[in-house]
Amino acid sequence: MNRWLTRRWPAPHWPSIRGRGRTDLGPLLLTGAVIAIVALLAGAVPALLRAAADNAVQDTVRRAGHDSNVLAHADWERDDGPNGGRVRTAGLADDIENFRARATYALGPDLDAALLPPVAVVNGPILSVSEGNVPRTFQFTYLAGDLDGPDVTWVAGNAPGPAVPDEYIEVPYDGPPWPVQVGLSEADAAALGLGPGDRIPVKDGQGHDKNVRISGIYRPADSADPAWQLAPALLEPVPGADGVGTTRFGGLLSRESLPDARLAIDEDQLRRTVHFVAEPDALTWDATAALASQVVKLKAVSGSSVREEPLRWESQLDTTLRAARARNSAASAQAAVLLVGVLTATVLVLLLAADLLVRRRTPALSAARQRGAALPDLGTELVIESTVVAVSAAAVGLALARAAAPGVHWAWAVPVVLAGAAAGPAFGTLAAARASRDRRQPANPTARRWIRATGQLRRTAVEVAVLIAAVAAFGILHQRGIVPAADDGGTGELTGDLILPISALALGALVGALVLRRLVPLGARFALRQALRSRRPLAVFGAARAATTAGRALPLLVLVSSTALASFALILGSTVTRGLADGAWDTVGADARVDVGADAEAATPALAERITAAPGVDQVVVAQVTDSARVFSESTLLAPRLVIVDTAAFQRLLATTPLPDASALARLTAPGPGDVPALVRSSRGELRAGTPLQLSRDDAPAIRLTAVGTAPSVGGAGDVVIVDVAALADAGLPAVPNTVWVTGPGAARAVSNIDVAADVVLRADVLRTQRVAPLTAGLLRLAWTAAAVLLALGLLGLMLAAAAGASERWQTLTRLRTLGLRPRDARWVAAGEVLPPVVVAAVCGPLLGALLARLTLGPLDLRLLTGQAADPAAVLPWWLLGLLSVAVLAAATAVVPVESALRRRDRLSEVLRAGE
Amino acid sequence: MSSEPLLSVRGVHRRFGTGPTLVHALRGVSFDVAAGSMVALVGRSGSGKTTLLNVIGGLDRPDTGTVHVNGTDVTALDEDGLSLLRREKVSYVFQSFGLIPVLSAAENVAAPLRLARVAPAQRERRVELLLELVGLADHARQRPTELSGGQQQRVAIARALAASPRLLLADEPTGQLDAETGLSVMALLRGVVESEGVTVLVSTHDAVMMALADRVIRIHDGHLHEQAAGQPYESTPDVG
Repeated sequence: MNRWLTRRWPAPHWPSIRGRGRTDLGPLLLTGAVIAIVALLAGAVPALLRAAADNAVQDTVRRAGHDSNVLAHADWERDDGPNGGRVRTAGLADDIENFRARATYALGPDLDAALLPPVAVVNGPILSVSEGNVPRTFQFTYLAGDLDGPDVTWVAGNAPGPAVPDEYIEVPYDGPPWPVQVGLSEADAAALGLGPGDRIPVKDGQGHDKNVRISGIYRPADSADPAWQLAPALLEPVPGADGVGTTRFGGLLSRESLPDARLAIDEDQLRRTVHFVAEPDALTWDATAALASQVVKLKAVSGSSVREEPLRWESQLDTTLRAARARNSAASAQAAVLLVGVLTATVLVLLLAADLLVRRRTPALSAARQRGAALPDLGTELVIESTVVAVSAAAVGLALARAAAPGVHWAWAVPVVLAGAAAGPAFGTLAAARASRDRRQPANPTARRWIRATGQLRRTAVEVAVLIAAVAAFGILHQRGIVPAADDGGTGELTGDLILPISALALGALVGALVLRRLVPLGARFALRQALRSRRPLAVFGAARAATTAGRALPLLVLVSSTALASFALILGSTVTRGLADGAWDTVGADARVDVGADAEAATPALAERITAAPGVDQVVVAQVTDSARVFSESTLLAPRLVIVDTAAFQRLLATTPLPDASALARLTAPGPGDVPALVRSSRGELRAGTPLQLSRDDAPAIRLTAVGTAPSVGGAGDVVIVDVAALADAGLPAVPNTVWVTGPGAARAVSNIDVAADVVLRADVLRTQRVAPLTAGLLRLAWTAAAVLLALGLLGLMLAAAAGASERWQTLTRLRTLGLRPRDARWVAAGEVLPPVVVAAVCGPLLGALLARLTLGPLDLRLLTGQAADPAAVLPWWLLGLLSVAVLAAATAVVPVESALRRRDRLSEVLRAGE
Repeated sequence: MSSEPLLSVRGVHRRFGTGPTLVHALRGVSFDVAAGSMVALVGRSGSGKTTLLNVIGGLDRPDTGTVHVNGTDVTALDEDGLSLLRREKVSYVFQSFGLIPVLSAAENVAAPLRLARVAPAQRERRVELLLELVGLADHARQRPTELSGGQQQRVAIARALAASPRLLLADEPTGQLDAETGLSVMALLRGVVESEGVTVLVSTHDAVMMALADRVIRIHDGHLHEQAAGQPYESTPDVG
């Protein structure tokens, strides 16, 4: 007969299940509590990170400012008339409306929903103001939103009108400059000293006069209207917009004067653009991939339309979104690394708890087996019990996670539930099987050695497997990193190919613990040999107990792994914290920075003097900082940040900050071979030492620069050129300082009440902002929480290990007491057994954590969160690591007194009887 | 044999539990054992043999009654006094050997001598002598796991004799051994009584051990019944 037909299904004995559950309620509740807490953590963290990811995307786009705008450009239809001239197109504003609508339609619904209503901007060329000895430029602009342009109030004169009343007119190409009316803001008009009816003396690049007349002076109804941000010169003069030392003015066109503006300049000089400003609050993490993809598609099809004037798209939104995705992915992966560490320690603790439970149950299980209970029945009973405990505890944890976080990720809790459900039954069934096995310890020594060798071979095979997995994990981690491949269609979720690299830390901790598990017995045996030479019996017995229990793998694995992983979490948190601080120094360049407004630049030196006189100020340095300066490297136009500064003072200031000293600054004051010496820094290698450069100027020959070294980082800019203020003045370009860097404990107070129009940037504020950034704050919280949970798991492991070994330990101590050992001496012998693995974990755990940090922090891409140019070096928080060790040691030293107190009432006879 | 008994037990009562679970393990047990004799304590499982040995050795305290070992009132000693008693006068041999697994046979035997702060040279001589006595001189460097059960029990006996106790309490020392090995262990115990002059009180089920004893005391339901050595177990009359 088929044996499947004769085999019966396991028949659990329900009263036994209930009885065992009641008897071991404490350990079962403890196991359930561990599973519930870790399930809560594992379920909530991914959900919280996802929520933080939405905020982070919005934050990134908000910080990107104009770079996240989507721009659509389109050429004009030619305005050639039938008589060889140019035709005035009276309906040009309607054409702009049509262009705006076309661009909006081309965006697609998803991208449209993520952007604010568009504003069409029509810009004329940059004209130079021909009067005055300061370089000034002028540009007329037409703004059109949903309700035409932004509202203004005409405080003098009128809105610009048409130059001619005729609907249709054709003007010759070589005719006189066509008149165009513009409005000026009060600030621009005051700076130019002109009023309604005046002609603005402007010329184009070829030196041709343009007939631009002021129709009126306006005051914006809402200067915060986003439309003004697209042409800030329409509100007030903008310094440096067209080169060092220049100031740009803006003239506002109306629907009526727009056709004249086109005729006033060459046919191809009027540019029209639709600006779509990103709406950060409308962005979510889920949408980023599709939006970035849509932006890329728009840019790819730029100029491909054949029926209408083709749209050309321009935007950095895709890059911004990809950067945000990269940061989010990095944060998710970093969180995953920590979570895997916590889960690994938890699984080990659950194995230890199962070991303890089975030790308590072995007599009962053995008795049941000897009474005839079948192993499948016993196994089924244990599986039912452990599954109920593990699944219900995980459900409680995940329910709490759902209450604490939007959504819950149950997949991370699976390993813990599996360990909780499987470990107890596996250990218990094995114990029951051993109890009924008729195979006894063989009398033949060779056979006993063979059994021992077989067991050692099995253990070695497991250890080698873990080692191979760890080596592979570290190899992959260093080769590809942990950030998921950022294809636009990807979900950003952790994929299967990342399981090994994100497990590298946990596997590394396990390998370290396994190495120690090999070394500790050797050390214990060495200590025993030394103790045997001594005359102190307690040393002998303590060392003997230590050597006896040194081979127990689980307690050491739990203690070393959890302390190493907790140390890693502390190091990660400290490294990020320090990275943020360094990033803030990098961004501000000092304790405080004052960016003086264009109108107040002349007051910068006096402002610096006042700040210098304030108490608590160490160093004050003024500089002219110009973003997007026009610098030619050979034939390439670059737009680096140009810093004109007293380099000696700058060097002194750097010396008072944690920023790297820049000894090369001293070379800038050294007399060069004619060219002005400069230090350069480039994120893409376009600016290198030895490269000849030319600093472009309007209305003056370019100044030749020679890059003589590498510049320090200034405000985190990718490309930087630093020149000495005196050297540049000698070359004919006097600096107009617009930046003040201040260091010292009183820096913030010194710049708090300045009476100059300026932006004040405090390092402390920047640091605070970075610390509360969603992803950074989330990762830091997770690192500290993981450290605390791992420490708690380590301490729990210590207690479980002590409890698991307590019975055997007190049996041995009682036997020693039958030889005459005094009770108080028995405690020292117990300490000799309990302390060695704890001391090993307290000393080696933090060291192993530091080693793992050194091996893994690089590929974790922490710079994406700290905002630094390079990955931060691991910061070892020695006092925190020391505290961790002390906590573990303190708990261990409490074990023996507590055990002694608990067993004080136990009679020696009872202890001995229990061990028989 | 001295006229003064080495061991004197008087009116010892020992109860465990309360109410319905109350068990009278010993009911007014009184007897004397002369020095240098070997007494077998026999009885069924749960009859009170181990309880009596524990009370005699100070591992347990009687509810009432006294125990004197070599003139010392064991029941009046505190923990340190009991430790001293076990270090100098009373030693034990258990069914499960109780050896320290990482120490060699010689080091296990030397354990009581270390507690007694015996000088190393003297300690080594004593260990060598005892291992010779139990027939394990060639196994001095072997660890318990490398020894058979009988050999381990011999080491345990040697360890019990190390500090030259006056009284050796052996609780079913042959319980985990096969018949042949058990016999050799019992012969060894008989031998140490002769050679070391130690008094042995051994609990056992083994009829051969009873035959080797100078005296057999049967314990039943907490009461003692003395029978002559070599007489059948079942026919032993109560002695009250």
